[in-house]
Amino acid sequence: MILQRLTGLWDKLIWPWRPESNREAGSGIVANFLLHWFPNRISLRSLKFSASMYLGTITFVVFMVLTVTGVVLMFLYVPSVERAYWSIKDLDHAVSFGWLLRRLHRISAHLMVALVFLHMFRVFLTGSYKAGEIVTSARPFNWVLGVTLLVLTLLLSFTGYLLPWDQLAFWAITVGTNIAAAVPWVGETIRQFLLGGTIIGQPTLIRFYVLHCALLPIALFAIAAWHMWRIRKDGGLAIVEQDRQEALNREPAVPKKSKTYSVLGIASGTTVQVNDPTTLNESNSVPSTPFLTVRILVVTLLTIAVSIGLSLVVQAPLEEAANPEVTPNPAKAPWYFLGLQEMVGYSALMGGVIVPTLVIFGLMLIPFLDREQGGIGLWFTDGAGRKWAVFGFLYGAITTCGCLVLAILAPTRDIFPTIESQFFFDLVNPATFLLALFAGMYFVVLKKTASTRYAAMATFCAFIISFIILTYTGTSLRGPNWDFFWPWQAWPAHPMAL
Amino acid sequence: MRAVASTETIPSDVRVSGDQAKPTRRGFLGRLTAAVAAAGALVASWPLLRSLVPNVLYEPPKKFRIGAPESFQEGVTFLEEHRLFLFRERSNFHAISGICTHLGCTVKFSPFTLPQEETVRDFAYRALGEFHCPCHGSKFRGEGTNYAGPAPRPLKCFHLEVSPATGELVVDVSNEVSRDFRLVV
Repeated sequence: MILQRLTGLWDKLIWPWRPESNREAGSGIVANFLLHWFPNRISLRSLKFSASMYLGTITFVVFMVLTVTGVVLMFLYVPSVERAYWSIKDLDHAVSFGWLLRRLHRISAHLMVALVFLHMFRVFLTGSYKAGEIVTSARPFNWVLGVTLLVLTLLLSFTGYLLPWDQLAFWAITVGTNIAAAVPWVGETIRQFLLGGTIIGQPTLIRFYVLHCALLPIALFAIAAWHMWRIRKDGGLAIVEQDRQEALNREPAVPKKSKTYSVLGIASGTTVQVNDPTTLNESNSVPSTPFLTVRILVVTLLTIAVSIGLSLVVQAPLEEAANPEVTPNPAKAPWYFLGLQEMVGYSALMGGVIVPTLVIFGLMLIPFLDREQGGIGLWFTDGAGRKWAVFGFLYGAITTCGCLVLAILAPTRDIFPTIESQFFFDLVNPATFLLALFAGMYFVVLKKTASTRYAAMATFCAFIISFIILTYTGTSLRGPNWDFFWPWQAWPAHPMAL
Repeated sequence: MRAVASTETIPSDVRVSGDQAKPTRRGFLGRLTAAVAAAGALVASWPLLRSLVPNVLYEPPKKFRIGAPESFQEGVTFLEEHRLFLFRERSNFHAISGICTHLGCTVKFSPFTLPQEETVRDFAYRALGEFHCPCHGSKFRGEGTNYAGPAPRPLKCFHLEVSPATGELVVDVSNEVSRDFRLVV
């Protein structure tokens, strides 16, 4: 009797359901919320680790970890300039497991920023933003949603950075909000709207707190849900285009978007592409339960385990309490903004406003500029694509290093000592050179190969390596007074000061 | 159950008529409703946004006393809480802002071993040192002119006066003056 109950309980826990037919699986999906995420059958191609590396899944799991730890931290944190720093101190020293919560939240935030970048690199390099020819999908739009999520992630991270109210936080936000002030004409208004005054103070802290804890997470959650729902609507990972291509070769009749299971009238007109019998069959696909669900479960548990493990070894730093009177030397933004800070070192307008705006819009435009439909879901599209990617990497590395050498050895102000116009230096500086060099390469590759995909690939790879080099430079090679130091050079012990 | 197992599709060649046809009353009313709703939303969002622009700032005053003139030593004094450098050359006083014009970090004063006579942008003065910014490496001459790094403008110079009530020096950071301004006490 007890044994029966136990096995019954066990069955409930492991949920040993195996659908007998497509119809049963479909009913199961309608009946079960969890299965709304996953299709009935999943193509073997998209199950392969290399297809997605589960980067999107991991990002979402990390976001969930951030939400859970963040809610608990909200109970323990006081958003006031007098108390904020001391409530963080309490977390580290007085609250049971407060240190763990803070470390886990911090390491997950850093991981999430890194992961959204990696996820974007994966989606770009596999050409997964393409609509496809056989069944036109809205993947280009989903890419735009993804770029929006990237921006939201950076904003969340940036607003959270101020909350400990220590020197690191205070000066990173001073630099960050002053970048906004470099926008022509309306910059100062934007800055004061962000700060809620003319200096960083209580109004700023409460603004960043509300943005960080309410507005931005809700926006991110809503758009992330939309992002994932779109993946379902578009038939799963982009690599199913290869399955569709195979199906088309097998039977020349065009595979249609089959309306196997409607969403009970919620989505009219178009359909959820749960199962396309002409594309997925017994030989090239398996049921999602258990093959996909178990993998997702393993990835989820591994992600949580790794972030907890990391937070056990990586300390969350806390400097002295924020002091508007003393600027630390060097004052640095969070690592993912240090590439930006390096460029801001050339010109606040070009490096801090124009280049990032162009990069964000450029990213959003990728699927609309590159409309070639070959090799969707395959890494680097094909052999020639691989070559152009390598070319882009090398070109990006060489030009970025060249611009860095120029910036360090011969700043533009030293080359033109007699010119006083700020406009001139906003236009002529290494950040502009890089932008021009990359834009030029796009058109040269486009002309040479007559392929927007290869041109985009080379340019994107150049941007990746440039981002990495600039971030590394800002993080490790810049010391007091933003002077250049090799990693093996010691910083002066007592930087020049009054 | 029908919804679950349905295999119906909407043929793609069917056009819903009326889209491009002549305007209908229903269509007009629909657009009118949308326009009114949009206007209403705009009006409703105004108080929400306007309330976030402060009318009163609880910030330190822009005009403040810093102490009696004779309490300052010859040369340069950094007033930490005001992020301000006060220069004294016998009975001449002037104040230079310590806020970098690039991104607002506090600049550090790097003194020369000996004062030097300098001429910067047709302005001759006795330089005690120069200003260096720790954030992005901007450098300024001793009178405030930016000469290296990304700083777009010279450091600000502020108006100084002697308080008639207490005889102390008063700085007005909302009143910017040219770099040759000197208060003679």
